Amino acid sequence: MKLNRFVKVALVAVASSSLLIAGTTTSTAATKKLKSIRVAAVVKGLDNPFFIGIKEGIEETALKYGVYANVQAAPGLNDDIGQANKLDSLAGQNYDCYIVIPISSNNLSQAIGKITKKKKTVINIDSPVDAASLKAAGGKITSFAGTDNFAAGKAGGEKMVAAIGAGKKIGLIAGLAGNVTSAARVDGFKAGAVGATFVGPVNADWDTTKALDAANAMITANKDLAGFFAANDQMAQGVGKAIKAAGLKIPVYGVDGIADALNEVKAGSITATISQYPYVMGQMGVEACIIAAQGGKVPAQTITPYYIIDSANITAALTNKSTRGYFPNQTPPGTYTNPYTKLIKKN
Amino acid sequence: MKKISKKSTAPSSEGAVDLNFLGRVRSKIQDPFFWSDWLVVVAFVFVIAFFGAIAPAEFLTLWNLNNILVAASIPAIIAVGQTFTVLTAGIDLSVSSTMTFGAVTFGLAFTNGWPLWQCVLIGTIAGTFVGLLNGLIIAKRKINDFIVTLGMLSVASGAALVLSDGKPRQVISESLATLAIGDKANIPYLMMVAFVIVVVAHFVLFHTRFGTHVFAVGGDPESARAMGISVVKIKVAVYVISGALAGFAATLAISRIGSAEPAANTSILLNSVAAVVLGGVSLFGGRGTIFGPFIAALLLQSLSNGLTVIGVAAYYQYLSIGLVVILSAALVRTDK
Repeated sequence: MKLNRFVKVALVAVASSSLLIAGTTTSTAATKKLKSIRVAAVVKGLDNPFFIGIKEGIEETALKYGVYANVQAAPGLNDDIGQANKLDSLAGQNYDCYIVIPISSNNLSQAIGKITKKKKTVINIDSPVDAASLKAAGGKITSFAGTDNFAAGKAGGEKMVAAIGAGKKIGLIAGLAGNVTSAARVDGFKAGAVGATFVGPVNADWDTTKALDAANAMITANKDLAGFFAANDQMAQGVGKAIKAAGLKIPVYGVDGIADALNEVKAGSITATISQYPYVMGQMGVEACIIAAQGGKVPAQTITPYYIIDSANITAALTNKSTRGYFPNQTPPGTYTNPYTKLIKKN
Repeated sequence: MKKISKKSTAPSSEGAVDLNFLGRVRSKIQDPFFWSDWLVVVAFVFVIAFFGAIAPAEFLTLWNLNNILVAASIPAIIAVGQTFTVLTAGIDLSVSSTMTFGAVTFGLAFTNGWPLWQCVLIGTIAGTFVGLLNGLIIAKRKINDFIVTLGMLSVASGAALVLSDGKPRQVISESLATLAIGDKANIPYLMMVAFVIVVVAHFVLFHTRFGTHVFAVGGDPESARAMGISVVKIKVAVYVISGALAGFAATLAISRIGSAEPAANTSILLNSVAAVVLGGVSLFGGRGTIFGPFIAALLLQSLSNGLTVIGVAAYYQYLSIGLVVILSAALVRTDK
């Protein structure tokens, strides 16, 4: 008798709880509550402040909307396989949406293919996934949000030629050999700097010291250099040191807008940085995820903003501080379009 | 009370005949060599049990265990090659860029329309060549392994950049994709390939004359020489094995990421050295197994996977993996 009653109670409990579960699942399928949305992100190595900026954007935006976000990074700088392993590990879990930044244009394609098979959403930010390898792996990317690196480089080229005049010699410092982002920035700069001649590009692997050495060598070999373009800020810092050591007064432009570079723009050791807004990329990634989870239509591609920060607008840029201070420029010192925010349903 | 007193009086090192079970266990666990062989297994079981207990629904799924096996396959193959060099008291620091060099030659062959098997072969040959150079310089010129392979790390990655002009070569092939994501009875093909290599390497090491010579050269090169073993040949051979396996592993890497990347992946090197040390292979040579480093490769990937699955923030992952490696190395004191 006692047992019977216990069984009955248990049965009722199980039945009611399963009803409850059934009830909640059907209601979330219709309009997913913000609180129940789970986002996973796999970014590049966190030894670069740029990706810390993206991580910050993802985490703070998730916090703002009340969605859950798990941000993971590649285990090492060039660890393309390790990054794929991370995405594989997360792919089997209970996430609604995955935000990815591939180390190379191909390395995450197969992992994305597996996620697509599970009918989950993938949002690509910053560096694009190669379309051919994605197609071969059966993967689908719902939305891409990233900087047009070519356009950013081109704007820098135009600005530098306007400052130093046409027909001058400019030194080019590139990032890792074969890196798509570096190539786009350098090619963009060359396209923008109409009429200039170029020395390089020399690959300094995104590294300050290597860029310092490379710039020293270029200055020694070319006394008539009128300016430098480095494909990121860390290298621009190295170039700035080389220029100072050589006693020259020529401009150096970097790209990214990291904290140190902004301080150096203020101090004058770097002339300008073509700032990107990793925070905004992270933010757009999470917002795209929310729209997809709510069953909305996500814009397929969005170009995130870039701004040339130099002595003219450095003060405005520096007042726009991040709460954690890794990438001081959370948002640009001006207007930009974010097509995602308005598509989110508040619930 | 009774039990404790019995336990403390019974085992005596001289009266080995009447050792009871507990005593035997105790003397076993006090033997440092027992730990160098078995710590990795204990640690592996512990890691699986730990994450299994914390996140059974996420960690202990077929999908996820499959992921761990896939992730561990390339590190396992590289660790096997590394084990051979470490067994002779050497080390191969060039494995990561040897693999890259192999991948780049594979990619060049592929873009020039070579059939797949020839691409695999050329990649392996390229790796073998790097290993041969390492071995010849180390053994013939008697230069420190550390320095030669450190130099080769840079030479091979430079050669890979020169050959590829710094550009990745896309390798899209149906059969490679099947290799990368396919499985039979829930065992991924990649792990089957790795396991075959592990078994063959185990056989070579423990059931052939060559294997005995490797241990002899690592244990005491002078006596090995006195016994008529060619130390030079053995030294060259172990670096050739390491290079060939790194070159072959390039195929697996390409299958996973769908392209031949020109930039070396240094995590491969760190992982292989960590796996060899965790796997109980003495860095002073002459002692070790193949299965130890293999389990260690699985352990390291399980750890990384488990931390990701339970959502440990990236920063703490670097910390915890490093700590596990140092802690285990401190526990496994294989120095003579």
